[in-house]
Amino acid sequence: MKGTRKRHELTVALAFLAPNLIGFGVFTCFPVLYSFFASLSNWNLQNPNQTSFVGFRNYAVLLQDPQFWTYLINTGYFFLGLPFAIMGSLWLAILLNRKLSLGTAYRTLLYIPSFTSGVAIMILWKSLYNPDYGPINETLRHFIDFIGLNGQITPPQWLSSTKNVFGLEIDKPGINPTQFGIGARDALIYMGIWTAIGGNNMLLYLAALTNVPEELVEATQIDGASRWQSFLHVIWPTLAPTTFFIVIMSIIGGMQGGFEQAKVMTNGGPAGTTTTVAYHIYTKAFEEFQVGYASAIAWVLFAIVFGLSLFTWKFGNRAGENG
Amino acid sequence: MKDSIGKRFAIYALLTALSLLTLAPFVWMVATSLKPLGEVESSQLLPKLAQPDNYPQVFKQINFARYYANSIFVAAWVTFLTCLTSSMAAYAFARRIWPGRDLVFKLYLATLMIPGVVTMIPNFALMVKLGLLDSYAGLIIPASFSAFGTFLLRQFMLTIPMALDEAAMIDGATPWQIFWNVAMPAARGGLIALAVFTFMGNYGSFFWPLILIKSEGLRTLPIGLMYFDTMYGRATHLLMAASVMSIIPPALLFILLQKHLVRGIQLGAVKG
Amino acid sequence: MRIIFSVSFLVLILWTAIMLSTQSKPIETGKQPLVWTSDDNPLRKEQIDLFNKLHPDLSLKLDPVNQGMEKVIVQSLAGVGPDLIDCRDAAQLSAYVDSGIAWDVTDQLKASGINLESDAWKCMLPMTTRNGRDYAVPTNSAVNAIWINKATFEEEGVPIPTGPLTWEEFIKVAERMTKRDAKGKPIRFGFLMDWWNWPHFFFGFGGRVYNEDGTKCTIDSEESIAALTFMHDLVYKYKVCPSAVDEASMSSAGGWGSGTINLFGSGRGAMALGGRWWLANLRQIPDLNLSAIESPYAKERLFSRAGRTTIINSASPRRELALKFLIYLASPEYANLVNDQADGIAAFKKYTEGSRFDTNPKYPNEDYNAVWRDATEFAYGNPDSPFVNSARVQRIIDKAIDLVRIDAQSPRVALTNAAKEINLAIKENLAERPDLAKKYKEVTGAESP
Repeated sequence: MKGTRKRHELTVALAFLAPNLIGFGVFTCFPVLYSFFASLSNWNLQNPNQTSFVGFRNYAVLLQDPQFWTYLINTGYFFLGLPFAIMGSLWLAILLNRKLSLGTAYRTLLYIPSFTSGVAIMILWKSLYNPDYGPINETLRHFIDFIGLNGQITPPQWLSSTKNVFGLEIDKPGINPTQFGIGARDALIYMGIWTAIGGNNMLLYLAALTNVPEELVEATQIDGASRWQSFLHVIWPTLAPTTFFIVIMSIIGGMQGGFEQAKVMTNGGPAGTTTTVAYHIYTKAFEEFQVGYASAIAWVLFAIVFGLSLFTWKFGNRAGENG
Repeated sequence: MKDSIGKRFAIYALLTALSLLTLAPFVWMVATSLKPLGEVESSQLLPKLAQPDNYPQVFKQINFARYYANSIFVAAWVTFLTCLTSSMAAYAFARRIWPGRDLVFKLYLATLMIPGVVTMIPNFALMVKLGLLDSYAGLIIPASFSAFGTFLLRQFMLTIPMALDEAAMIDGATPWQIFWNVAMPAARGGLIALAVFTFMGNYGSFFWPLILIKSEGLRTLPIGLMYFDTMYGRATHLLMAASVMSIIPPALLFILLQKHLVRGIQLGAVKG
Repeated sequence: MRIIFSVSFLVLILWTAIMLSTQSKPIETGKQPLVWTSDDNPLRKEQIDLFNKLHPDLSLKLDPVNQGMEKVIVQSLAGVGPDLIDCRDAAQLSAYVDSGIAWDVTDQLKASGINLESDAWKCMLPMTTRNGRDYAVPTNSAVNAIWINKATFEEEGVPIPTGPLTWEEFIKVAERMTKRDAKGKPIRFGFLMDWWNWPHFFFGFGGRVYNEDGTKCTIDSEESIAALTFMHDLVYKYKVCPSAVDEASMSSAGGWGSGTINLFGSGRGAMALGGRWWLANLRQIPDLNLSAIESPYAKERLFSRAGRTTIINSASPRRELALKFLIYLASPEYANLVNDQADGIAAFKKYTEGSRFDTNPKYPNEDYNAVWRDATEFAYGNPDSPFVNSARVQRIIDKAIDLVRIDAQSPRVALTNAAKEINLAIKENLAERPDLAKKYKEVTGAESP
């Protein structure tokens, strides 16, 4: 009895999985395996005839390459925006979750950056960041004038500056105090927050907030709990699966990210400071034709993302159970 | 929950300020789309003399209407197929208990972490083998199987108690009926969100259509926009005009689905 | 929910029928298709229309790619590459030749009476020919000179330069033309240049990226350091150019510096280093009164070359037909079109001689065309090294230039590091490729640099 039940469940599950699973096998699993074998070869598009099996040499070379570590640090740097983007989305979702007469209008307005094609947004921001004529610095200069610090501080040079809030060294892992400031990487982070805050994550939170039992919130408030307490004890736990989902997706997206920005806005510069691992893979494969080596970078990146997600999974699931 | 008038006012003020911050770059975008080329690099926000002719110019210079239709068409198919395949898979993961489920699910998740650049060459070769090069099918099919969507909908389907499925089963419902009548309503908010994400994501996709499409009649909007940004310089004013127009369809879609999203929020609270 | 899905499905099926039936007929009957991978812009459209008019049996179509070679590489690997492919520099040609994509058309060109060696601009040959074999026909040619916005000079009451200047004379003019407001915010720059134009300065100062046979990187030579120091001085010492930081944020996605063109077009610069192809943009700006003079140089009268060439995909089943396009590229009809469009200048010298070129009746104000032609005689493109991947070299040099541009490193340190890194890249490459290592040893007698 139990055995047939199990088999039945499996049949049903497979039937439902089939459409996705087949497409998946063909368009994801096959290319992925293919790329793994490529990473063990010296496949070069420019002279494919000399391709041979080189074992794990690509991986050995890669791990000793200071450039790879620099670009990995760059990629990590872009995670600075993550907590702001996620908390901002949640906060906006909570604001919008009230029955406001203009709710729809606000939601639409805040979502606009997500409508616009990425390339258009990036070209737009590139102009906004222009240090001399861009509206951002124009505004900052007025503000500096206004607080009377004219001449003492100047607006950041944005996309053309290698500076960053940690004072990271330009070309290799390390710290260099002269690099302390605000530069291209920060500019891309602000743009990222602006794009993301009213976007998909906010929608997810809004949808998830529908599952928050309103009676429970009201009940805790009748019991004299502060708004913050009811958020902490009722809303936040209910949202845990959604937060977990957003965090995981952000980590995965973030580790693979930075490609379009680099291609459209900065070419990975200045001096390589906005080159992320994803852009590095792209240049190695499609500009320097070293597909074998590029595949190896991709697999190392994959391992890192996998490790991070696993960590989040363990941590996130525990948090979810506690709630 | 009723807020006091003062509080409501504060919330409105806050939202208005945030919306303005979001909108500011777009105001600049629209302003630039009305400028003549010579004023594009000027720090003046408004053009000296508005040049609405930039908009008809876009249609005159490229087959904008066709690119428009292609983008929407492809994105619509991808959205439909993604929602269908993802929700079915999510149902198998969230509402059925079978051996190896968690392992398969983890494998699914793992594939999300593969950087897209690497799968491109084998995928392209596959398209050629399948004869899908330079076709709508080649744009639609590879994009229609989403691990992301499966994950998303699974999370939504997990939020309702299993007792509902069991009750339906005792009433003699088939898995197919339970899928449509129990699991799908639970995932409603998620489905709408997934539809919106998928549509936007695909509507703006650039790299895949760039390498896959050769015929002029199959080009999508992002490829069309390239026409105004070439090695011979960028016609920023026309690029911005085209970009402004390209926002309209997804904006309309969002406003349309927005109603459902709001209703989903209201209904979802009652049913949960 | 089920109803929504069913209805959507039916609507999509119906829509598909409509989309497929309104698809324009791919090829008119009896016409052979040809696909050309080039950038998507209005100039290209006119060039294609003219070809199709001259060849009623063929139907040439554009497959757009605006930057990079990834599309061609991926498509060609899968065996479905375009018939005709553009090259932007010598390194791209090398890449296509090495990977077997470029078809050797030496004999075919000879049979058609096209002699690149004697007829095409000399500067284009590194982009057409390898080891004495021809693979490409030049599509257009371009060289840098100095653009002048006459109105700004009239405004300042400064005499408009008419002849070649030395850099010293040029800087004096540029300093007079630079204007700032009371706060020091620039209103107009005396000179606009793109940092990616570094080869223009390097060549003029006598600097080169590699030694003669490409076995060693020489970008740390005193000449190169002097050139980069000069570029740095234009910005930080003479302050006649936009502070380097502006330049970066203004230059376009592809690094082609269209931001600089627009800046110049809006009167923000009195003079600018650029090509005749700027006209494609500048003609759209009304009331712009322009002039041009040859660029100054320090040591050698050399100006950096741009322009494109077109190769035939050796795997194309229609490569014999594609030859007609290469022959078209060498025809007077095409050359006149290129000259009229200001898509650079015609790549064959003979089509740029005579009054039709000097003063085009369609654009009577453009009385400076001869400047571009005469400068093309001295155009130069650095040959690439066969021993190292040029994209990698490009990235290393770009990084060095970036560091100087933002004033983070001195030209000497930046270029010394770059040369070291490039020579290391050569060494790595030789270790990876026994065929190259052998060749290297034959040329130099040494194992590596």
